[in-house]
Amino acid sequence: MNEAILVGADLTKTFDKLTVVRKASLSVGEGEFVALVGKSGCGKTTLLSLLSGLERPTSGRVTIAGKEISGATEDELALFRRENVGFVFQSFNLIPTLTAWENAALPLFPVQMTTEERHRRAAELLEKMELGDRMEHLPATLSGGEKQRVAIARALINHPKIVFADEPTGNLDTATGDAIMAILNRLHREQGMTILMVTHDTEMAKTADRVVRMQDGEVLS
Amino acid sequence: MNLRYVYQELTRRKRRTVIAVIGLSIGIALLVILNALSLAYHEAARAPLKEIGADITVQRPGNVPEEMAGAVFPCSAVTIKKDEIDRVGKLPGVRGMGTALLLWVFDPNRAWTVLGIEQANPVGPSLLKNFVAEGRYLEAGKPEALVEAAFARQFGIKTGDTISVAGRSFPVVGLVDASQAAKIAVANLYLPLAEAQVIAAASQPLQSVSPFAMGDVNLLFIRADQDKIADLAATVKGLMGPKTAVATPDSFLKLLGSFFAVSDKFTFIASLIAILIAVLIAFKTMAGNVAERMREIGVLKAVGWTRRDVTLQLLTESVVQCLIAGILGLACAYAAASALGFMTVSIPIPWEMSPTPHFLPGGGAPVFKTLRLPVHIPWTLAFFAVLLSTVIGGLTGALLGRRISKIKPSEVLRHE
Repeated sequence: MNEAILVGADLTKTFDKLTVVRKASLSVGEGEFVALVGKSGCGKTTLLSLLSGLERPTSGRVTIAGKEISGATEDELALFRRENVGFVFQSFNLIPTLTAWENAALPLFPVQMTTEERHRRAAELLEKMELGDRMEHLPATLSGGEKQRVAIARALINHPKIVFADEPTGNLDTATGDAIMAILNRLHREQGMTILMVTHDTEMAKTADRVVRMQDGEVLS
Repeated sequence: MNLRYVYQELTRRKRRTVIAVIGLSIGIALLVILNALSLAYHEAARAPLKEIGADITVQRPGNVPEEMAGAVFPCSAVTIKKDEIDRVGKLPGVRGMGTALLLWVFDPNRAWTVLGIEQANPVGPSLLKNFVAEGRYLEAGKPEALVEAAFARQFGIKTGDTISVAGRSFPVVGLVDASQAAKIAVANLYLPLAEAQVIAAASQPLQSVSPFAMGDVNLLFIRADQDKIADLAATVKGLMGPKTAVATPDSFLKLLGSFFAVSDKFTFIASLIAILIAVLIAFKTMAGNVAERMREIGVLKAVGWTRRDVTLQLLTESVVQCLIAGILGLACAYAAASALGFMTVSIPIPWEMSPTPHFLPGGGAPVFKTLRLPVHIPWTLAFFAVLLSTVIGGLTGALLGRRISKIKPSEVLRHE
């Protein structure tokens, strides 16, 4: 494993009296593709949230690219995510009123930059996602696979150090899911993108460099 | 804040935007038109006095003449002493004064309503000079008369004739169409004030009802600072006695009887309700919008938007929406004002202010000043309405934006 870009140490997350993640430790090396697998409800998504800075742990530490984020404020975390992290969600989470290129450029909206520059960067990524002819389309007019490709473009637009993908094929049919996995693998292979993917599909997980299993809130391997 | 995103949100959620804008614009339009109507009635109420260049008229009611012979005072207007006029003239807020002397003259073969006027004083009935239908207006220092045109027709009086009034002769130098002039202080015959004072001073029946000396009058017209009219009217009443009849635009406003005319409180409360409706609509729509977009806001925060970014975005959306609503509401109010401007309003003139003997033809007939309701929207009201709408948008957006921006992205994105 290359030098760890993501380190989660002894992470515990408790909601009221329910402990969802228990003393979980996980490291991801730079350029590594890690699949986090486990049954539904085992705490995978919560752990992903803790590791990505979407959620603060009850205890434990998270370090991304050498910066510990566990004690950061909400706004510090937001700025950190904007500059270092990309997300791909199971249900795409595109903004329905924005076009494909505007959705892809969403993380850049608060950044001082011309619209032309945002458009150029979004268009470049959408071309790579083979969505060059869909840039002005609204999400409602895109297929599931196209939506997820827009979401991947959005995850990449800020040149993140790591991409977190939460069940990226969960809402797609097998063929489309395979296509999305192919894109993620290509990103990893050709651009050395670090990816931590949550999935319950062991076949999908096999394409990753390493598979980490979770059960009842604990990391097993 | 991203204006492109604001534009897309407002144009691509058309139904929601249209409902919010229409709802709010109705509130703003109501606010503007209610206040414009109130201002219009106030302006209309100023018209009768404005016609004679005054803001306040003062009369002192007295006893009914014991016999209708010679020159007498109408019972609604007896002597106002010269020293009283001088004291009123020194009151703060008085910008100008005019006087007149209204008499009923019962000659053996004819009854006259005679008004002695200051020919050149712009405060008072001197505006008659603009309504001379034949001949010329009175010249200073000359004992001559103007006759009301309809009266002259009725009695065959012509320019150049000499008439005899209370034993004094006056050449008729012109006929005046008083129906086109003011409705207050109208008469059959207009004389220079000094000539009317001579007639009054020499009249025994008049002196027996109310002692009169040269220099006294029975009608006083005051031009006042607009913001001091009410206070000045009260002071004048205090100075001249409780029975003094002091008429101001407010007196006519009460005669109009409209809600808008009678009560500033009504306008204020109705405006307040309109504003409340506007605020509630803006708040409800924005709150519904924000609730619908919880997940969207979670995504914004997940991809790196700070609380400030989210708040500013929602604030801008709300302000732009409310600004559009304000402008639309104002446009609707302008349209309504144009339509309402065709309405006419009839202001009843009390008999006391234009007294003619009851027993003469038309003597007791009600007199009205009829005019188009002068509805217009002052720029200050228009500016206030748009500003208010924008402020409502700003406050609503800021309040809801601040609240919603506190959500944690993980909370709304957890349940995929």
